[in-house]
Amino acid sequence: MERVLDLSGRLQRILEEAEKAAEMKVEEARKRAEEMITRAKEEAENRRIRAQRGDGIEDLTRAEEERAKQEASRILEEYRARAERLRRVPEERFREAVEMVLGEVLPR
Amino acid sequence: MRIPTLELEAQLIERTVERRNRIISEAEERARRIIQAAERECERIKAESERQVLTIISSELRAIRDRIVGRAIIEGRKMVMLAREEMISRVRMDVEKRLREIAEGKSGDVEYGRVLVRLIEEAASAIGGSEFIIAANRRDLEYLRGHLEEVEETLKGLLGEVKLELEEEPIEAVGGVIVRNRDGTKIYNNTLEGRLRKAWSRMEAEVAKKLELI
Repeated sequence: MERVLDLSGRLQRILEEAEKAAEMKVEEARKRAEEMITRAKEEAENRRIRAQRGDGIEDLTRAEEERAKQEASRILEEYRARAERLRRVPEERFREAVEMVLGEVLPR
Repeated sequence: MRIPTLELEAQLIERTVERRNRIISEAEERARRIIQAAERECERIKAESERQVLTIISSELRAIRDRIVGRAIIEGRKMVMLAREEMISRVRMDVEKRLREIAEGKSGDVEYGRVLVRLIEEAASAIGGSEFIIAANRRDLEYLRGHLEEVEETLKGLLGEVKLELEEEPIEAVGGVIVRNRDGTKIYNNTLEGRLRKAWSRMEAEVAKKLELI
Protein backbone atom coordinates (compact mmCIF):
# COMPACT_ATOMS: atom_id res chain seq x y z
CA MET A 1 0.00 0.00 0.00
CA GLU A 2 2.85 2.31 0.86
CA ARG A 3 4.42 1.57 -2.51
CA VAL A 4 1.22 2.55 -4.33
CA LEU A 5 1.03 5.82 -2.41
CA ASP A 6 4.63 6.56 -3.27
CA LEU A 7 3.93 5.91 -6.93
CA SER A 8 0.83 8.09 -6.81
CA GLY A 9 2.89 10.95 -5.40
CA ARG A 10 5.44 10.62 -8.19
CA LEU A 11 2.74 10.52 -10.86
CA GLN A 12 1.13 13.60 -9.36
CA ARG A 13 4.46 15.41 -9.70
CA ILE A 14 4.72 14.34 -13.30
CA LEU A 15 1.31 15.85 -13.96
CA GLU A 16 2.22 19.04 -12.13
CA GLU A 17 5.38 19.33 -14.18
CA ALA A 18 3.35 18.76 -17.33
CA GLU A 19 0.97 21.55 -16.26
CA LYS A 20 3.93 23.85 -15.72
CA ALA A 21 5.45 22.93 -19.07
CA ALA A 22 2.11 23.51 -20.74
CA GLU A 23 1.71 26.90 -19.12
CA MET A 24 5.22 27.78 -20.21
CA LYS A 25 4.50 26.79 -23.78
CA VAL A 26 1.37 28.95 -23.86
CA GLU A 27 3.16 31.81 -22.14
CA GLU A 28 6.03 31.61 -24.64
CA ALA A 29 3.53 31.66 -27.50
CA ARG A 30 1.81 34.71 -26.01
CA LYS A 31 5.12 36.46 -25.62
CA ARG A 32 6.14 35.61 -29.16
CA ALA A 33 2.76 36.77 -30.48
CA GLU A 34 3.10 40.08 -28.65
CA GLU A 35 6.58 40.56 -30.08
CA MET A 36 5.33 39.78 -33.59
CA ILE A 37 2.51 42.30 -33.30
CA THR A 38 4.75 44.96 -31.77
CA ARG A 39 7.28 44.48 -34.55
CA ALA A 40 4.55 44.62 -37.22
CA LYS A 41 3.20 47.85 -35.70
CA GLU A 42 6.67 49.38 -35.60
CA GLU A 43 7.35 48.37 -39.19
CA ALA A 44 4.00 49.78 -40.29
CA GLU A 45 4.66 53.04 -38.49
CA ASN A 46 8.15 53.29 -39.98
CA ARG A 47 6.76 52.61 -43.44
CA ARG A 48 4.16 55.35 -43.00
CA ILE A 49 6.79 57.83 -41.82
CA ARG A 50 9.13 56.94 -44.68
CA ALA A 51 6.28 57.18 -47.19
CA GLN A 52 5.50 60.65 -45.89
CA ARG A 53 9.12 61.56 -46.61
CA GLY A 54 8.94 59.85 -50.00
CA ASP A 55 11.30 57.05 -48.94
CA GLY A 56 10.82 53.33 -49.34
CA ILE A 57 7.99 53.61 -51.83
CA GLU A 58 9.99 52.43 -54.82
CA ASP A 59 8.18 49.09 -54.85
CA LEU A 60 4.83 50.85 -55.04
CA THR A 61 5.92 53.37 -57.66
CA ARG A 62 7.51 50.57 -59.69
CA ALA A 63 4.29 48.53 -59.49
CA GLU A 64 2.24 51.57 -60.52
CA GLU A 65 4.64 52.24 -63.38
CA GLU A 66 4.28 48.64 -64.52
CA ARG A 67 0.47 48.85 -64.37
CA ALA A 68 0.50 52.16 -66.23
CA LYS A 69 2.81 50.73 -68.92
CA GLN A 70 0.46 47.82 -69.45
CA GLU A 71 -2.50 50.18 -69.72
CA ALA A 72 -0.54 52.44 -72.08
CA SER A 73 0.29 49.49 -74.27
CA ARG A 74 -3.37 48.46 -74.40
CA ILE A 75 -4.43 52.03 -75.24
CA LEU A 76 -1.85 52.29 -78.00
CA GLU A 77 -3.00 48.99 -79.43
CA GLU A 78 -6.59 50.25 -79.53
CA TYR A 79 -5.57 53.46 -81.28
CA ARG A 80 -3.38 51.50 -83.71
CA ALA A 81 -6.32 49.25 -84.59
CA ARG A 82 -8.54 52.30 -84.99
CA ALA A 83 -6.00 53.94 -87.32
CA GLU A 84 -5.83 50.74 -89.36
CA ARG A 85 -9.62 50.62 -89.62
CA LEU A 86 -9.63 54.23 -90.84
CA ARG A 87 -7.12 53.31 -93.55
CA ARG A 88 -9.41 50.61 -94.89
CA VAL A 89 -11.75 53.02 -96.71
CA PRO A 90 -13.46 51.22 -99.60
CA GLU A 91 -12.44 52.47 -103.07
CA GLU A 92 -16.04 53.23 -103.90
CA ARG A 93 -16.26 55.71 -101.04
CA PHE A 94 -13.06 57.39 -102.23
CA ARG A 95 -14.49 57.78 -105.70
CA GLU A 96 -17.67 59.27 -104.29
CA ALA A 97 -15.70 61.78 -102.23
CA VAL A 98 -13.61 62.78 -105.26
CA GLU A 99 -16.74 63.25 -107.36
CA MET A 100 -18.35 65.28 -104.59
CA VAL A 101 -15.40 67.70 -104.47
CA LEU A 102 -15.12 67.86 -108.26
CA GLY A 103 -18.79 68.72 -108.40
CA GLU A 104 -18.06 71.78 -106.27
CA VAL A 105 -14.86 72.81 -108.06
CA LEU A 106 -16.14 72.58 -111.60
CA PRO A 107 -18.75 75.16 -112.53
CA ARG A 108 -22.20 73.78 -113.15
CA MET B 1 -12.24 -9.76 -7.62
CA ARG B 2 -8.87 -8.28 -6.64
CA ILE B 3 -6.65 -6.61 -9.10
CA PRO B 4 -3.01 -7.40 -8.52
CA THR B 5 -0.93 -4.47 -7.32
CA LEU B 6 1.41 -4.45 -10.32
CA GLU B 7 -1.42 -4.26 -12.74
CA LEU B 8 -2.96 -1.41 -10.75
CA GLU B 9 0.32 0.43 -10.87
CA ALA B 10 0.61 -0.12 -14.60
CA GLN B 11 -2.89 1.26 -15.15
CA LEU B 12 -2.14 4.26 -12.98
CA ILE B 13 1.07 4.99 -14.88
CA GLU B 14 -0.64 4.57 -18.23
CA ARG B 15 -3.47 6.95 -17.33
CA THR B 16 -1.03 9.49 -15.95
CA VAL B 17 1.08 9.38 -19.12
CA GLU B 18 -2.04 9.79 -21.25
CA ARG B 19 -3.15 12.77 -19.21
CA ARG B 20 0.34 14.28 -19.29
CA ASN B 21 0.42 13.90 -23.06
CA ARG B 22 -3.02 15.45 -23.36
CA ILE B 23 -1.97 18.41 -21.18
CA ILE B 24 1.09 18.97 -23.39
CA SER B 25 -0.72 18.56 -26.69
CA GLU B 26 -3.55 20.86 -25.60
CA ALA B 27 -0.99 23.45 -24.60
CA GLU B 28 0.74 23.07 -27.95
CA GLU B 29 -2.57 23.51 -29.73
CA ARG B 30 -3.33 26.67 -27.74
CA ALA B 31 0.15 28.01 -28.46
CA ARG B 32 -0.31 27.30 -32.17
CA ARG B 33 -3.63 29.14 -32.18
CA ILE B 34 -2.10 32.12 -30.39
CA ILE B 35 0.67 32.34 -33.02
CA GLN B 36 -1.83 31.93 -35.85
CA ALA B 37 -3.95 34.76 -34.45
CA ALA B 38 -0.85 36.91 -34.12
CA GLU B 39 0.11 36.17 -37.71
CA ARG B 40 -3.37 37.20 -38.86
CA GLU B 41 -3.12 40.37 -36.84
CA CYS B 42 0.30 41.13 -38.35
CA GLU B 43 -1.16 40.66 -41.83
CA ARG B 44 -4.01 43.00 -40.96
CA ILE B 45 -1.59 45.63 -39.61
CA LYS B 46 0.56 45.31 -42.73
CA ALA B 47 -2.44 45.60 -45.07
CA GLU B 48 -3.77 48.59 -43.19
CA SER B 49 -0.34 50.20 -43.31
CA GLU B 50 -0.08 49.57 -47.07
CA ARG B 51 -3.49 51.15 -47.51
CA GLN B 52 -2.40 54.19 -45.54
CA VAL B 53 0.87 54.41 -47.48
CA LEU B 54 -1.08 54.24 -50.74
CA THR B 55 -3.25 57.10 -49.57
CA ILE B 56 -0.18 59.13 -48.62
CA ILE B 57 1.52 58.63 -51.99
CA SER B 58 -1.63 58.52 -54.11
CA SER B 59 -0.88 61.83 -55.81
CA GLU B 60 2.59 60.60 -56.74
CA LEU B 61 1.18 57.35 -58.13
CA ARG B 62 -1.46 59.28 -60.05
CA ALA B 63 1.26 61.47 -61.55
CA ILE B 64 3.16 58.36 -62.67
CA ARG B 65 0.06 56.91 -64.26
CA ASP B 66 -0.96 60.19 -65.90
CA ARG B 67 2.53 60.65 -67.35
CA ILE B 68 2.72 57.16 -68.90
CA VAL B 69 -0.91 56.73 -69.94
CA GLY B 70 -1.18 60.37 -71.04
CA ARG B 71 1.78 59.96 -73.37
CA ALA B 72 0.17 56.85 -74.90
CA ILE B 73 -3.11 58.68 -75.45
CA ILE B 74 -1.35 61.57 -77.20
CA GLU B 75 0.64 59.16 -79.35
CA GLY B 76 -2.49 57.14 -80.15
CA ARG B 77 -4.49 60.21 -81.11
CA LYS B 78 -1.63 61.27 -83.35
CA MET B 79 -1.74 57.88 -85.09
CA VAL B 80 -5.47 58.21 -85.70
CA MET B 81 -5.10 61.81 -86.85
CA LEU B 82 -2.33 60.84 -89.29
CA ALA B 83 -4.44 58.00 -90.70
CA ARG B 84 -7.36 60.40 -91.13
CA GLU B 85 -5.15 63.05 -92.79
CA GLU B 86 -3.63 60.40 -95.04
CA MET B 87 -7.05 59.38 -96.32
CA ILE B 88 -8.30 62.95 -96.75
CA SER B 89 -5.12 63.96 -98.48
CA ARG B 90 -5.52 61.03 -100.86
CA VAL B 91 -8.91 62.44 -101.91
CA ARG B 92 -7.34 65.86 -102.48
CA MET B 93 -4.54 64.36 -104.56
CA ASP B 94 -7.06 62.37 -106.61
CA VAL B 95 -9.13 65.53 -107.18
CA GLU B 96 -6.01 67.44 -108.29
CA LYS B 97 -5.11 64.61 -110.65
CA ARG B 98 -8.63 64.58 -112.11
CA LEU B 99 -8.54 68.38 -112.54
CA ARG B 100 -5.24 68.10 -114.42
CA GLU B 101 -6.72 65.42 -116.66
CA ILE B 102 -9.82 67.52 -117.29
CA ALA B 103 -7.76 70.63 -118.08
CA GLU B 104 -5.55 68.63 -120.43
CA GLY B 105 -8.63 67.27 -122.18
CA LYS B 106 -7.88 63.72 -121.09
CA SER B 107 -11.17 63.26 -119.30
CA GLY B 108 -13.80 61.76 -121.49
CA ASP B 109 -16.79 62.84 -119.45
CA VAL B 110 -16.00 66.58 -119.08
CA GLU B 111 -15.68 68.99 -122.00
CA TYR B 112 -13.04 71.42 -120.77
CA GLY B 113 -13.84 74.14 -123.36
CA ARG B 114 -17.29 74.51 -121.83
CA VAL B 115 -15.78 74.54 -118.33
CA LEU B 116 -13.49 77.39 -119.37
CA VAL B 117 -16.39 79.41 -120.77
CA ARG B 118 -18.38 78.86 -117.58
CA LEU B 119 -15.39 80.02 -115.51
CA ILE B 120 -15.05 83.21 -117.57
CA GLU B 121 -18.78 83.83 -117.40
CA GLU B 122 -18.86 83.37 -113.64
CA ALA B 123 -15.91 85.72 -113.13
CA ALA B 124 -17.23 88.36 -115.54
CA SER B 125 -20.64 88.21 -113.96
CA ALA B 126 -19.14 88.73 -110.49
CA ILE B 127 -16.95 91.67 -111.63
CA GLY B 128 -19.66 93.35 -113.71
CA GLY B 129 -19.14 95.62 -116.73
CA SER B 130 -18.49 94.65 -120.31
CA GLU B 131 -14.73 94.63 -120.86
CA PHE B 132 -12.59 91.96 -119.36
CA ILE B 133 -8.98 90.92 -119.51
CA ILE B 134 -8.34 87.23 -119.10
CA ALA B 135 -5.20 85.54 -117.81
CA ALA B 136 -4.73 81.79 -118.14
CA ASN B 137 -2.03 79.18 -118.59
CA ARG B 138 -0.31 78.75 -121.91
CA ARG B 139 -2.57 75.93 -123.11
CA ASP B 140 -5.81 77.67 -122.16
CA LEU B 141 -4.64 81.00 -123.66
CA GLU B 142 -4.00 79.20 -126.89
CA TYR B 143 -7.45 77.64 -126.82
CA LEU B 144 -9.11 80.96 -126.00
CA ARG B 145 -7.21 82.74 -128.80
CA GLY B 146 -8.68 80.28 -131.22
CA HIS B 147 -12.20 80.53 -129.79
CA LEU B 148 -12.40 84.11 -128.51
CA GLU B 149 -15.28 85.25 -130.74
CA GLU B 150 -17.17 82.08 -130.00
CA VAL B 151 -16.71 82.65 -126.27
CA GLU B 152 -17.82 86.28 -126.58
CA GLU B 153 -20.86 85.13 -128.46
CA THR B 154 -21.72 82.61 -125.77
CA LEU B 155 -21.28 85.24 -123.04
CA LYS B 156 -23.39 87.72 -125.02
CA GLY B 157 -26.36 85.44 -124.61
CA LEU B 158 -25.81 85.35 -120.88
CA LEU B 159 -24.31 88.73 -119.92
CA GLY B 160 -25.02 90.99 -122.91
CA GLU B 161 -22.38 92.52 -125.16
CA VAL B 162 -18.87 91.84 -123.81
CA LYS B 163 -15.35 92.48 -125.01
CA LEU B 164 -12.67 90.02 -124.00
CA GLU B 165 -8.92 90.48 -124.16
CA LEU B 166 -6.26 87.94 -123.38
CA GLU B 167 -3.12 88.61 -121.36
CA GLU B 168 0.07 88.04 -123.30
CA GLU B 169 1.94 86.34 -120.47
CA PRO B 170 0.64 82.94 -119.38
CA ILE B 171 0.10 82.24 -115.69
CA GLU B 172 1.16 79.14 -113.73
CA ALA B 173 -2.05 77.24 -113.22
CA VAL B 174 -3.53 73.82 -113.89
CA GLY B 175 -6.45 75.48 -115.61
CA GLY B 176 -9.09 78.14 -115.32
CA VAL B 177 -8.78 81.89 -115.56
CA ILE B 178 -8.05 85.08 -113.69
CA VAL B 179 -10.37 87.77 -114.97
CA ARG B 180 -10.05 91.51 -114.31
CA ASN B 181 -11.76 94.64 -115.49
CA ARG B 182 -9.87 97.09 -117.72
CA ASP B 183 -8.60 99.39 -114.95
CA GLY B 184 -7.65 96.42 -112.76
CA THR B 185 -9.82 97.48 -109.82
CA LYS B 186 -11.63 94.18 -109.77
CA ILE B 187 -9.97 90.83 -110.12
CA TYR B 188 -11.63 87.43 -109.93
CA ASN B 189 -9.46 84.35 -109.49
CA ASN B 190 -11.30 81.50 -111.11
CA THR B 191 -8.41 79.12 -111.63
CA LEU B 192 -9.07 75.49 -110.88
CA GLU B 193 -6.55 75.63 -108.01
CA GLY B 194 -8.28 78.69 -106.57
CA ARG B 195 -11.66 77.02 -106.77
CA LEU B 196 -10.29 73.83 -105.25
CA ARG B 197 -8.76 75.82 -102.39
CA LYS B 198 -12.06 77.50 -101.65
CA ALA B 199 -14.11 74.35 -102.04
CA TRP B 200 -11.69 72.35 -99.93
CA SER B 201 -11.83 74.73 -96.98
CA ARG B 202 -15.60 74.36 -97.05
CA MET B 203 -15.71 70.65 -97.70
CA GLU B 204 -12.85 69.03 -95.82
CA ALA B 205 -15.09 67.99 -92.94
CA GLU B 206 -17.69 66.74 -95.39
CA VAL B 207 -15.06 64.66 -97.16
CA ALA B 208 -14.00 63.16 -93.83
CA LYS B 209 -17.65 62.34 -93.13
CA LYS B 210 -18.09 60.81 -96.57
CA LEU B 211 -15.08 58.55 -95.93
CA GLU B 212 -16.59 57.77 -92.52
CA LEU B 213 -13.48 59.06 -90.79
CA ILE B 214 -15.48 61.07 -88.28
